[in-house]
Amino acid sequence: MLLETGYRPGPAAALRESLHRIRAMAGNNTLIRLRDPGQTISYVVMPMVLMLVLEPLYVRAVDGGTTKVVTGLLVMFSVFAISIAGNAILAERTWKTWDRLRVSRAPAAELLIGKTLPIYVVMIAQQTILLIYGCLVIGLPIPGNVPLVLGAILLWAFTLLAIGALLAAIVRSHGELSVITDVGALTLSSLGGALVPLSLMPEWAQVAAQASPGYWALELLQAAVAGDTAGVLKPAAILLGIALVCGAFAIRRLTRGWGRGGLL
Amino acid sequence: MLQAIDLVKRYGPVLALDGFSLSVAAGEIVGLVGHNGAGKTTFVEIVSYLVRQDGGHVTIDGRPPSASRGRVGVAPQHIALYPSVTVREHLNLFGKLAGLRRAALDSAVEELTVALRLGAFIDRRTAALSGGQQRRVQAATALINRPGLLLLDEPTAGADLETREAMLDVVKQRAGEGAAIVYTTHYLPELVELQATIAVARSGRIIARGTYDELVDGLPGEVRLIHDNEEEVRVSTTQPAATLIDLLGRAERPISTIEVHNPSLDDLYRSLAVSDAP
Ligand SMILES: Nc1ncnc2c1ncn2[C@@H]1O[C@H](COP(=O)(O)OP(=O)(O)O)[C@@H](O)[C@H]1O
Ligand SMILES: [Mg+2]
Repeated sequence: MLLETGYRPGPAAALRESLHRIRAMAGNNTLIRLRDPGQTISYVVMPMVLMLVLEPLYVRAVDGGTTKVVTGLLVMFSVFAISIAGNAILAERTWKTWDRLRVSRAPAAELLIGKTLPIYVVMIAQQTILLIYGCLVIGLPIPGNVPLVLGAILLWAFTLLAIGALLAAIVRSHGELSVITDVGALTLSSLGGALVPLSLMPEWAQVAAQASPGYWALELLQAAVAGDTAGVLKPAAILLGIALVCGAFAIRRLTRGWGRGGLL
Repeated sequence: MLQAIDLVKRYGPVLALDGFSLSVAAGEIVGLVGHNGAGKTTFVEIVSYLVRQDGGHVTIDGRPPSASRGRVGVAPQHIALYPSVTVREHLNLFGKLAGLRRAALDSAVEELTVALRLGAFIDRRTAALSGGQQRRVQAATALINRPGLLLLDEPTAGADLETREAMLDVVKQRAGEGAAIVYTTHYLPELVELQATIAVARSGRIIARGTYDELVDGLPGEVRLIHDNEEEVRVSTTQPAATLIDLLGRAERPISTIEVHNPSLDDLYRSLAVSDAP
């Protein structure tokens, strides 16, 4: 009458079961995102308004001002979206639900994929919407190499997701997380040249900028929008490195759970 | 089904478990009781592989906890539900994570909806539910795939009467089907109703294990009389009926209140402390 316990599925069946569980997790997290859309919406609408307002300024101040205003604000607000990822993951701890998932049949890898996939989609959607808006409303020339731009977005969103997961794994509360993401996002992205074009910033800032993922994201996106395949490589490699390091740390922490020791 | 031998767990200077041994057979309900901090929840966490022990062994059907993922149903001590997700969505999520699909999933959801009386709020978000309702939802998510081992950590804490009744019925039914069940509680009458084996934890180990008859039946209860002038008489006794008749026979004034208390868990803890002493 009880479920038999010694059953081992073959590889094809195991994959099917795995996908079934990932779909369940991802579905649940999509529901949660859809029922609490405020932050996501504001991180799409705010940069739209700012692009519109700042565009004339940029065009007068620097060469290629239109590209710079669109990619700059896109990068800045995509960095803010780290807090969406961080809060979504941290909430599993606040709600104590992560431990419930950890005792389920789903291995940690499935839980992480099911958890982060919907957030990844949200981040990609945010950036894609802003780029399309940039082309249609702000006058950004339509990129010649669309797959390259898409690849750049996928990579940058992946980096942000990994950073967000890492933050969620190490902070102790939602308050701490929002301080880090708000201050961090503003500093990193403006230092990276997302708010004011780098060429207008003081010299020390131009040097310091290279330490910011935001700087490399801008390089990446501007090269991708310009169809400069060779120019994409260096920033892409650096961002991928950052993503892999952050992601590895986050996975290590999250698969072990938070335990009761550091409860909020 | 479940065998734990000599478990040790340290949290810094705190010895949460200190030689904790407990076994539960298929179809058996073990009522795990003990003061707060006795180590009950730590034991549950080790068996469910959320926490690693520093010493000792656990096997579940012959396997270690690491190889038993998904075979153990756990209802944690604290409510752990998604606030914006409905009851039905919770059951579907945990059912799917346990590998249930379509018809099997639907019938499991249907069965638990009836058994734990979730029907009236099945499509409400859990944030909008009362504490007792949340308890029932939490238990339902632990029971959804009929696991062979159930760990229910204070499933009736803060629960209303309806929740308690439904919970006890389901637990009895699952034990009848052959599940091994660890049930922690602070209410002795629940364990009487479940006909559970009682295991008493103190300071990280099990200090007594037996049936109600073996552990509690011989302990003194209390008879309490209040006269019409508020004067009170309390007698500790192992034979409440005889004591009551005797007291009534000797009463010199009219009596306004009569109370007979069966032995409580606290009486049990006290008796163990005494018999424990060197
Ligand atoms: N994560 C933890 N960090 C530090 N101490 C802990 C942790 N978990 C449990 N303890 C300690 O271990 C002891 C046993 O706790 P617990 O298992 O929760 O007892 P019970 O469930 O019987 O009330 C307590 O002293 C508690 O403070
Ligand atoms: Mg406890």
